Amino acid sequence: MTESLNANLLHPQQRVGDNMARWREAGGGDALRIAAQDPPAVLTAIKDADLRGLGGSGFPVWRKWEAVANEAPRPDKYLVCNGNEDEPGTFKDRLLLQETPHQVIEGALLAALATGVNRIVFYINPDLTRALAALQAALGQWQGSDMLQQAGKALGRPITMELKPSSGHYIGGEETAALEWIEGKFPFPRGKPPYPAQDGAHGCPTLINNVETLANVPAIVRHGADWFRRQGIGKATGGKLYSLSGDVLHPGVYELPMGTTLHDLVLVHGGGLLSGKPLKAVFTGGPSNTLLTPADLDVGLDFDSLRERGASLGTGAMIVVSEGTGIVKQVAEYVRFFAHSSCGQCVSCKTGTATLSLLIDRIDTGRGTAADLATLESLYRMLPGSGRCHLVNGVAQLLDSSFRHFRHEYEQALK
Amino acid sequence: MTKKTGDEPTVDLLINGVKVRAEPHMTIVEAAWAGGVPRITGASCLEGVCGSCRILLRRGQEVSVALACETFAEQGVETLFLPPPSAPRHQYELSDFKDGWDIQARFQEIFPEADRCRHCHGCVQSCPKGIAVEDGVALAAAGRFREAGEAFFECVMCELCDSACPEQIAPAHVGLFSRRITAFFHLRPPNLIHRLEELRQEPFSGSNNPAPLPGSDEKESS
Amino acid sequence: MTRGLSLQAALAAYRVDAELAPLPQPLEPDALLNAFHPDHLRDGIATLAVGPNAGARCPRELADLLQAEAYIDEVDLAGVEVTDTDVLVIGGGGAGSAAALAAAERGARVLLATKMRLGDSNTVMAEGGIQAAIEPDDSVQQHLQDTLRAGHHAGNPALVAAMVGDGPGVIRWLIRQGMQFDQTASGDLHTRRAGGISAPRIVHCRDYTGLEMMRALREAVIQHRGIEVWDQAPAVELLSNENGRKCVGAVLGSLDGQKLRIVRARSVILATGGIGRLHLHGFPTSNHLGATGDGLVLAYRIGARLCDLDSFQYHPTGLVNPPYLSGKLVTEGIRAAGALLLNAEGHRFIDELQPRDIVSAAIIRECREGRGIHPDTGGVGVWLDTARLERGQPGLIEQQFPKLLARSRIAGIDPRRDPVLVYPTLHYQNGGAVIDVDGATTVPGLYAAGEVAGGIHGHNRIMGNALLEIISFGRRAGMAAAISSHDRGPKKITLEHVNQARRALTLAGLPLTRRAPQIMPDYTAPGKDFQIAANPRSKS
Repeated sequence: MTESLNANLLHPQQRVGDNMARWREAGGGDALRIAAQDPPAVLTAIKDADLRGLGGSGFPVWRKWEAVANEAPRPDKYLVCNGNEDEPGTFKDRLLLQETPHQVIEGALLAALATGVNRIVFYINPDLTRALAALQAALGQWQGSDMLQQAGKALGRPITMELKPSSGHYIGGEETAALEWIEGKFPFPRGKPPYPAQDGAHGCPTLINNVETLANVPAIVRHGADWFRRQGIGKATGGKLYSLSGDVLHPGVYELPMGTTLHDLVLVHGGGLLSGKPLKAVFTGGPSNTLLTPADLDVGLDFDSLRERGASLGTGAMIVVSEGTGIVKQVAEYVRFFAHSSCGQCVSCKTGTATLSLLIDRIDTGRGTAADLATLESLYRMLPGSGRCHLVNGVAQLLDSSFRHFRHEYEQALK
Repeated sequence: MTKKTGDEPTVDLLINGVKVRAEPHMTIVEAAWAGGVPRITGASCLEGVCGSCRILLRRGQEVSVALACETFAEQGVETLFLPPPSAPRHQYELSDFKDGWDIQARFQEIFPEADRCRHCHGCVQSCPKGIAVEDGVALAAAGRFREAGEAFFECVMCELCDSACPEQIAPAHVGLFSRRITAFFHLRPPNLIHRLEELRQEPFSGSNNPAPLPGSDEKESS
Repeated sequence: MTRGLSLQAALAAYRVDAELAPLPQPLEPDALLNAFHPDHLRDGIATLAVGPNAGARCPRELADLLQAEAYIDEVDLAGVEVTDTDVLVIGGGGAGSAAALAAAERGARVLLATKMRLGDSNTVMAEGGIQAAIEPDDSVQQHLQDTLRAGHHAGNPALVAAMVGDGPGVIRWLIRQGMQFDQTASGDLHTRRAGGISAPRIVHCRDYTGLEMMRALREAVIQHRGIEVWDQAPAVELLSNENGRKCVGAVLGSLDGQKLRIVRARSVILATGGIGRLHLHGFPTSNHLGATGDGLVLAYRIGARLCDLDSFQYHPTGLVNPPYLSGKLVTEGIRAAGALLLNAEGHRFIDELQPRDIVSAAIIRECREGRGIHPDTGGVGVWLDTARLERGQPGLIEQQFPKLLARSRIAGIDPRRDPVLVYPTLHYQNGGAVIDVDGATTVPGLYAAGEVAGGIHGHNRIMGNALLEIISFGRRAGMAAAISSHDRGPKKITLEHVNQARRALTLAGLPLTRRAPQIMPDYTAPGKDFQIAANPRSKS
C-alpha cells in the first residue's frame, strides 16, 4: 500500500521547487521533446489514459482539448491553468505549484502543443503566496529558454506564458469567471453556452484545466497511456492527490492510486481518527457535495465509484468528522462560506444561500425553532438549478445529504 | 377594473412546502390562508408598503424574490416566506453629525462597502419596487445624497437588496441614510420656522393650559 | 338592500365629461349619522359586565376580547428568562418608535417589543399626511377648534390642546429624525386641505407620508444605542405588583408560540395600535394584520379605564375590488385635491370634504337606497371620480399620488382612465385607554400612546391628526416614562390583576373559555392554524 504513496507527481525527485537543473536530471523536459515530434499524439495519449478533470469536474480531459484543437485561432488561443484553489479542505494545487512548478509548466506546454494554444495564463490565487513565488521563479527560468523556443517551433508560432494572480474570490475558480477576470472584469461566471472552447478569453478559443490535471500530462507522455491506466485501481486510471483533513491523526496531501478506498485513505494513510473515536462522516470535494458515512468506507475514491453512491469526488478533499464533532456546526460553517462566496449575479443563489446561512446559524447557536428548520428544508429544495454556475446546487446538495443522514442533530439543536 | 375574478379555474402551488389549491386572483398571502399553511408571520400591511412579506418564488428553473401581497397565485409555482433579515451592521446616529461638511467622509466610515459595488445587479433584480438600487448607491458613494435619497423614494424596507448584495453594502440602509441626512441638514421650511418662532415667543396655551411638550425647542447645533 | 347597477353597467354609463347636477340639499348631519353610520347600528352591540368600564356599550367583537381569560397563569412563569429595563415599549409602529426614541433621549434604557417586525403597523400605510398649523392664515387655535368640532365635542380639550400645540414642534422633530416632506418652490412645507378643517394644514410626503415617517423612525430606532428591539415578541400579558394595581412589566410570547419571556420594567408604554382586524360589524378594514386590539385587552385586564369604546372611524374611501385590496384606502388627499364622489346614477350626493363620519354615512345611504354599484365579486360601492380629476388636472395623480398608481398598476386598474369603486372601511378606533397629557393611563406605571389611547378625537377623527397624535403623545409618554422610571423598580412581579379579572368574570357568570389578546387574526383555513401557543397548556 505505502509503496504507491507519492509515486509520481509528488515523487521526491520531482519535489525540487524551482530548481530547473535538478528537475531536468529527473527527466524533466523529456515529455516536451517527445511531444514536439508529434503534438497530436499528446491528445491521443491522454484520451487513451482517460485523464479526468481533477479540479472537481471529473470530465474527460480530451473532450475539452479536442474542442479547442478543432477551433481556429482568433487570432490567439488561450490555455488557462487554473490555480484559484479556494475550496475549504482543498490544498493540493498549492503543493504542486510550490514543490513541482516545472512539472506544471511542462504539462501546460504539452497541452498547448496538443491544442494549438499560443498564450498560456497561470491563474493563481494570490493568497497562495509561496506557490506564487515558486511559480514565478520557475517561469523566469523558462522565459527565453531553448525548451520554450522549441515548443514554439513545434507549434509554428511563439508561445507566451503569463502569471496572472486571480481575484482571490472563491467564485473566480469557476472557469468562465476566470475568463472575466483575465479580461480585466469582476469574476462573474458567464452563462453557457458559448463554451470557453469556442468563445473564451478575449473571444478566443480557450482551454481551462486545473493545476493537477496539467501536472499529470508529462508523465503520461513519457510513460504512455497504458502505464497511466495501471496506476489506478479497478476501472479508475492514474493517481490522485487527496487533501485529507479534519479529525484524523495525520492530515495532509496524499498522492495515491485513483480509486483508493476511503478506509485506506483515512484509517491507513491518515493514521485513523483522533482519540480513537469512531468515524462519523466525511465531507468530500468542495465540500459542496454529498456526505460520506461509515457505510461508505469501502468505496473507491474515484469519480465513477463515488457517483454510484450518489456522492462526488470533487477536488479530492476529504474532511473527516469523528463522533464528538457536531454536523450542524460543520455544515453551518460551509454554508456561510458559500453564502459569502456567492457572486450576486443570481438573486436565487445570493439571497438563497444567505438565507440558508442565517437559518442554519440560528439553529446551530440554539436560537432556531421548528419553523426555522422547516423553512431551511423547504428553501434548499427550491434552489437547485436556479443559478448560472453550480454554487447553489452544491450548497443544496450538502444540506440535503446532511439532513438525510443527520436530521436528528438538527432537531436536537432546536430550542 | 380589468381584473376578472370568480369563474377562473383553480391553480395548484406550493407555499412553504405545503400544497395549496387557490384561485388565481388570490395573492400568495391569501392563498396561504386558504390553503391552511401554518401561521404566516411575515405579512402585515397587505398593500405593498411595509416590506414584510418577502418570498422566494420558483417558476420552472427561474427563482426570484417578491412581496407575497403583490404576487398572485399561479399554476405550479413554489413559494417560500423568507425569515426576517438580521439586524443591520452599519451603525450611526444622526445626532452624531455636527456639521454638514463632513457628511461624505462620515458616510464612507459608516458604509465603507458602498464604493465597492461590483455591479452584479442583484439588488436591482431583487427590488419589488423597481428602484434603480445600484445607481442610488453610486450616487450616495459620490456624496450626492439628495439624489440618492430620491432614487430610494419608493423603498418599503423589505431589505431584499441587502440580502442580495455580495459586498454587504446594505443598499436599503444607504438609501435611508441618504434620505435622512438630506432632511436633517437641508429641510428648513420658512413657514414652519416662522410658526415655531411665533410659538417660542408666545407659547400656545389651549383651553386647559397644558404643559407644552418639553424638548420641542431643544438646542440644535446644525 | 335594493340593487343598484352592476359594475359593468355603471362603467358603461360613466362619462368622464358628463355635466354634473348641483348637490342636493344635505341631510341634517345627526340624522344622517343616526340612520347610516355603523356606530349607530343596534345589532352587534354588547354591554360590558366587568372591569373599569362595566356598563359601557361596545361592539360585541371587542366586548368578547375585553372580557376574555388570560393566556397564562403564575405557574407558567416558572423558569422563564427575565430581562430588566427602564422603559418597555410594546408596539413597533409610529407611536412606539416615537416613545422609544423620546425615552432614550432622556437617558432611559429602552426595550421595544413588537408583535411583528419593527415598522409593521398602520403608520406605514398612512397616506395623506400629518396636521400642523404652520400656514400664515392658520393657527394652533383653529386646529384645536377643528379637532374638537369634528369629534362632536367629545374629545378631551386638554389632550387636544396639548397635541395641536405640539404640531409644529413635532414636524421639526420628525425632520431631525430624517423625515422628508413635500415643499413648495420657495421651500415652504406644502400643505393640503382635508375634510373638516378650516385651513390648509396637512403636511405630507406625496401619498407616502406614513411610509416616509415609519422608515425614518424605524431607522432611528434601530440605530439608537439606547434602544433594544425585539421583533416577533407579542405581549401576552402585563405584570402587576403584589396588589395588582401597578404595572411592572410584561410577559412576551413569540409568534411561533414556542417561548415566553418576562420583561421587568419601571414603566410600560402601550403603543399597540387599533382593532381593524376585528372586522366590527363585518366591515372590511384598512388596517395591517396585527391590528387586533391587544393593547386594549391588556390595559383593561390590569384595570385601566377606557373611553369611547362605541366610536370607530369608517374611512369613506376603501377599495371594493379587486377582492385582495378590499378595504384598502384611497387617501382622502385625493378628495382634498378635488376628486368627487358619484353614485350609480352619476350624481354627487355629499360635499366630499365633510368630516369622514358624515361622508361614510352618506355613501352607506346611497348604497342602501339602491344607488350603489355592485361588482360581481361581491360588495357594493360608489365612484370616486379620479378620472375626472385627472382630466381637469392632467398629471396630478402621477405627481402627487404615486402610491395609488403603483398599487393600481399591480391590480390592473388605471384610476386616471376609470373612476375607482369605494365603500367605507373600518379604519380607526376613536376611543381607547384614558390618558393624561403625559400619556399616563389610570394604572400607575402604564402609559399609552397612539391609536390604543383615547380621548383626543372624540367621536370622529379628522385626517392628519392620527400621525400627529402618535408622535405628540408617543414622545410625551416616552419622556414621562423615562422620568418616572427614576423611582425604585418593582419589588415583586405578579399576575395578581389576572386573578382579580378572573374572579370578576366568574362572579359575573361569564365563561372563561375564550382567551385574549388575539395577537393574530385567524384567516387560516379552519383547524389548520397553530394554536396561539403562548399558552403553555397547549404544549404537550
